[in-house]
Amino acid sequence: MASISIRNLTKRYGNFTVIPDLNLEIADHEFVVFVGPSGCGKSTLLRIIAGLEPISSGDLYIGDKRVNGVQAAQRDIAMVFQDYALYPHMKVYDNMSFALELRGTPKAEIDARVKRAAALLHIEPYLDRKPKELSGGQRQRVAMGRAIVRNPKAFLFDEPLSNLDAKLRGQVRAEIKALSQELQTTMVFVTHDQIEAMTMADRIVVLQSGTIQQYDTPEGVYERPANQFVAGFIGSPAMNFFPVEWSGEGAILSQGGAAVPLDGETAGRLRQAGSAVLGIRPEHFAVAADAADGMAVHIKLVEPLGSDTLIHFDLAGGPAIARVDPALRPKVGDRITLRPQPGKMHLFDAAGGQVLR
Amino acid sequence: MSDAANTDRWIRWLNTLQLVLAGLLIMAPTVWMVLSSFKPSFEVTAYPPTLIFSPTLENYDELTRTTPFLSYALNSLIVTVGSTALGLLFGIPAAFAVSWTRISWPAILTLAARMAPGTLFLLPWYVMFRQIGMIGSYTALILSHAVITLPIVIWVLLPSFDAIPRSVFEAAQVDGCSVTRILWRIAMPLVASGIAVSAILAFVFSWNYFLFALVLSNGDTKTLIAAAFNFIGEGSTQWGALMAAATLIALPPLVLAALVQRWLVSGLTLGAVKG
Repeated sequence: MASISIRNLTKRYGNFTVIPDLNLEIADHEFVVFVGPSGCGKSTLLRIIAGLEPISSGDLYIGDKRVNGVQAAQRDIAMVFQDYALYPHMKVYDNMSFALELRGTPKAEIDARVKRAAALLHIEPYLDRKPKELSGGQRQRVAMGRAIVRNPKAFLFDEPLSNLDAKLRGQVRAEIKALSQELQTTMVFVTHDQIEAMTMADRIVVLQSGTIQQYDTPEGVYERPANQFVAGFIGSPAMNFFPVEWSGEGAILSQGGAAVPLDGETAGRLRQAGSAVLGIRPEHFAVAADAADGMAVHIKLVEPLGSDTLIHFDLAGGPAIARVDPALRPKVGDRITLRPQPGKMHLFDAAGGQVLR
Repeated sequence: MSDAANTDRWIRWLNTLQLVLAGLLIMAPTVWMVLSSFKPSFEVTAYPPTLIFSPTLENYDELTRTTPFLSYALNSLIVTVGSTALGLLFGIPAAFAVSWTRISWPAILTLAARMAPGTLFLLPWYVMFRQIGMIGSYTALILSHAVITLPIVIWVLLPSFDAIPRSVFEAAQVDGCSVTRILWRIAMPLVASGIAVSAILAFVFSWNYFLFALVLSNGDTKTLIAAAFNFIGEGSTQWGALMAAATLIALPPLVLAALVQRWLVSGLTLGAVKG
């Protein structure tokens, strides 16, 4: 078990810089998720920690040891790959025991550790099978088992759930979370799925173009996004954005000029800034009884989800979504008045996208 | 019958016809060679060739009587097995290294060496081996035949190594494997059928290779195929004995290929790993 420390790390491929000057501290026992869109550098960063990619400049520490030039084999970390990367010619037992065998672990101990991991992951019946005789979910467990038996300093997961169907993904997600609590080992998990990030992480690293946009708890990135990118990336459906400006008497939409009922604190910030981008999550709209209390919209599309209903509408020249109580039974073409809930509004700098606080 | 079914039937017929024609074209010289080896010497060169004749073993008898056939066969075996082993010993790690580093020029270089005419090597080799006193040695023959076997091993194995998902090697790295151990414990078992195919092909090509043995061997180390050349004289050629020798020379590769036919085709057409 160990902390991971990344200092001024740069990764270049030829003239192309994938990660420019990144700093990150992952505490011992912490479950950190790297999340971001495709090409943001999250998998590259994970592979750098694993020792599968060299560092262009900067330092990487695992525990107290600087591991820049240390081979993957000597880093004592375990990794679960997106395609599981099991050894096709070895039985499940041998896949799991291979790393221990390489380290010269006594046979009796190998056996005990493999069986303990197999029991933990419910894969005991498959120990004598080859990977090709297993389903995707079973292979995924074997890949985790192969990592667990080693009792490494840190576990690295590279999008390990992306090849599973939705139901299995949810199940394995919960299992990994439970496992992390049981094993109490540092875990770094890469995903492009913000739900995985939110549900599993102690802290989330939101990455874009190789730079950390925000490093915070799941609640932090959801409730206090550092910028418009994070605000739009975390949350499903995504946050709505409306350009707004201060008219002298109150907030109005830049396009159309309709009044926007802001809470006092947000209004104060907008007054100071003059203009900004207002961010409101779909679940943070309230339905107002009186048209004068909010923004009147026409419903274009209704998506009933059972527990709640999504309504789609156009506002300030762009599409927007609100999550409402299904008891309202909204219908396409209905006119409805929405108002942002006080304390749930976000203002971003119109030029740079940074949050205005 | 519908048009589509008719077309299908025609395509099947044409396919069969093509296969028969190609088979005839490929097999005709072999059949001619085998038949001739059983013909009395006066009938071997008869024109038009006779298809019905009383088979005789006189050509085989002459072959074993006039030449130390078995010792030539042993020479061929030593040179072929030696050069195949040498080809595998260096070709397997070379193919793995090319696949691992994705630097392909060394493989292309070996291919160029294979494609170059053998005579290109002969003079420098002859001079070199003579200077170090190795002309006529098994070592000289095995080393020279490695030029045949090495590119075969590399080029048969390269797609097999390439077909192994990179992440499998990376998993082994993270598990604690050195590159050598990855080759030995992970990559080689996964391309076992490719290794077998490359070994068989290397064996066949080395067994059949004529030129190097003709120049670099001596009376004691002459290989079968170079020895068979003795039946072609300046004045007359002993066609019957030559055909008998050719038939016996062709036997090991044919038997080998027939035994592993299924494996050979699958090994040549794909890499070794799937799910």
